[in-house]
Amino acid sequence: MKFSFNHDQQQFAAGLREMLEREFTAAHLRGVWESGTGHDPAVWARLADMGVLSMMLPESDGGMGGDFVDTVLLVEELGRAAVPGPVFETMTVGALALRGTTWASGVADGSVAVTAALMGERYVPHTDVAALVLLADHQSVRALETAQLQTESVEGIDHGRRLATLSGTDSGGHFLAVDLNEVIDAGALASAAYLLGLSSRMLAIAGDYARDRRQFGQPIGSFQAVKHLMADALLKVEFARPAVYRAAWSHATGADTRSRDVSMAKALASEAAQKAARSALQVHGAIGYTWECDLQLFMKKAWALMPAWGNASLHRRRVSDAVLGQR
Amino acid sequence: MDLTETPDEQAFRAEARAWLEANVPAEPLPSFDTAEGFELHRQWEAKLYEGRWSAVSWPAEYGGRDADYLKWLIFEEEYWRSGAPGRVSQNGIFLLGPTIIEVGTPEQKARFLPAMARSDEIWAQAWSEPDAGSDMASIRSKGTLSADGSEWILNGQKIWASRAAWADWCFGIFRTDPESSRHKGLTFILMPLDTPGITVRPIAQLDGDTGFAEIFFDDVRVPVENTLGGVGNGWSVAMATAGFERGVSLRSPARFNVAVERLIKLWIRIGDPDDDTMRDAVTDLWMQAEGYRLHTYMTVTKLLEGGHVGSESSLNKIFWSEMDVRAHELALQLLGPDAERMDGAHQRWVDGFLFSLSGPIYAGTNEIQRNIIADRVLNLPRG
Repeated sequence: MKFSFNHDQQQFAAGLREMLEREFTAAHLRGVWESGTGHDPAVWARLADMGVLSMMLPESDGGMGGDFVDTVLLVEELGRAAVPGPVFETMTVGALALRGTTWASGVADGSVAVTAALMGERYVPHTDVAALVLLADHQSVRALETAQLQTESVEGIDHGRRLATLSGTDSGGHFLAVDLNEVIDAGALASAAYLLGLSSRMLAIAGDYARDRRQFGQPIGSFQAVKHLMADALLKVEFARPAVYRAAWSHATGADTRSRDVSMAKALASEAAQKAARSALQVHGAIGYTWECDLQLFMKKAWALMPAWGNASLHRRRVSDAVLGQR
Repeated sequence: MDLTETPDEQAFRAEARAWLEANVPAEPLPSFDTAEGFELHRQWEAKLYEGRWSAVSWPAEYGGRDADYLKWLIFEEEYWRSGAPGRVSQNGIFLLGPTIIEVGTPEQKARFLPAMARSDEIWAQAWSEPDAGSDMASIRSKGTLSADGSEWILNGQKIWASRAAWADWCFGIFRTDPESSRHKGLTFILMPLDTPGITVRPIAQLDGDTGFAEIFFDDVRVPVENTLGGVGNGWSVAMATAGFERGVSLRSPARFNVAVERLIKLWIRIGDPDDDTMRDAVTDLWMQAEGYRLHTYMTVTKLLEGGHVGSESSLNKIFWSEMDVRAHELALQLLGPDAERMDGAHQRWVDGFLFSLSGPIYAGTNEIQRNIIADRVLNLPRG
């Protein structure tokens, strides 16, 4: 029994974190928001170069041959930086569904971005960035080229995740030889890992502000009301963390409990993100309620991803069915 | 990462399970906060010691098995799963024992550890005072050296001393430098509770039993050899003990996993299948207990890989104590009118509910833990 990450896994995540802290600051993220593209080609190219996008692809597809345990810390770091575009979708859901296909090498080299709507989503994210969209077709997964589809944009709350409705999806595309549930679990787990990183970032931003901002002649972080608010949020985040890491293990090893474990991870990570966002905003007070404050870039990502790939309520029901028996 | 058990760990689990199945009393023992129950629990502890299961994580020379933290967790899982009695030896084996192993002299280790492992001597803790609760550094009970320097002369009062009503020995911190204040000038001292000058006055708890007591010290003479960790170091010795308590050892996950399994059985037996709110709440509890188990396995792996557990252990204390209250609140809600009865088939849930309410208070209130997290984990400015 060993519940930790090996040296290589930790080093790779640390390297990714350093790169993103240097090359993808909140100012860069704001730039993406203002560009209206929901995507940053420069950071995408860096992620492809580093092997982040291809971590879960087999070596025969030009990938790194890793599994979800090798990948989960990377997704967490992408969440910490709130990297926009279909990044966790491509590197987990996409890599899993497209292995062995002609698209796989494109995923590895960064030329093929992938998005998905496998749970009957009304609004599909990232369709103007992704070359492929994966749709559920009964118990199968079908890949369609977004260029062949009619899309109609809708305005989303997170400008790093542009939304659209799709039509013309009833036929065509390519059926993929993957298990739909395994792919859905990958998306739910990746979104949970991303939310974990995002939550830590929001608490870090709130901590900086609480040390800096003075009222009544002292930093507001010295007041117990602020301390306890933040401690409670940290509690949620730190107890979601092992659930996310365990789900990565269950996914990597094909455990019988995979779906239960993934659902536990997504339920806890979604609730942690909700608490972290709310607490971080409250610590900021009025400045947190402004467009200028960078906190909003991260909160809005959290609010978009909490319901994505199944909200906490849906996933709690999946855990209930596994633990208490089917209703 | 490998979340499966090694053959060695599996064998250890099987050995623990077999011994417990053969030895755990068929009927639950009376509460160890009663005179009769205390002695019955002492006898159970002696039996555990005979099987060399009373202090598995201690060195073999003191009666342990040199088990690493993982094996200790495995033992705990088997222990609580087997329905074995609560540990009346908790203060000694899990709190003071590891501290003596860390900072005690060879003579202290030889004198105290084996007797502790056998539960020949059961320990009470004496930290809080009437004016030093959450603000523990304002301790006023005094220790003065005798003229020949061979004894401490203790005066003052301790309160909320758990197990003190029936225990044999106690440990506490005393202000040995009269010029000192706050965390300085305190000394950690061990003494038998039948030392002349000590008066123990049991306090009836919320559940009516006497789990804790006041201890009055009136010119109590204790040999200086009973100083643990050096004169004036009492605060850091106590914090090492408290850190261990909060961190891993006080409440291992298994007891909560077992309690939640009982809650699930109760839900399946008497819950309303159409009550989705209750179904969700029970599921939340399962996730919390499971989350706590996973969190502990992560912490223990970190320790085994040479890492340290610092102030983040305060997160654990808040988490398990709030979870325990919530589990019992839900059980009482399920029980309906039977939740009002202090006798009968569901007594264990009602007793457990009352006991759970002490969790957010003892070993440092959860508000103090939140301060520690904010100051030392989140690095917020001190108030």
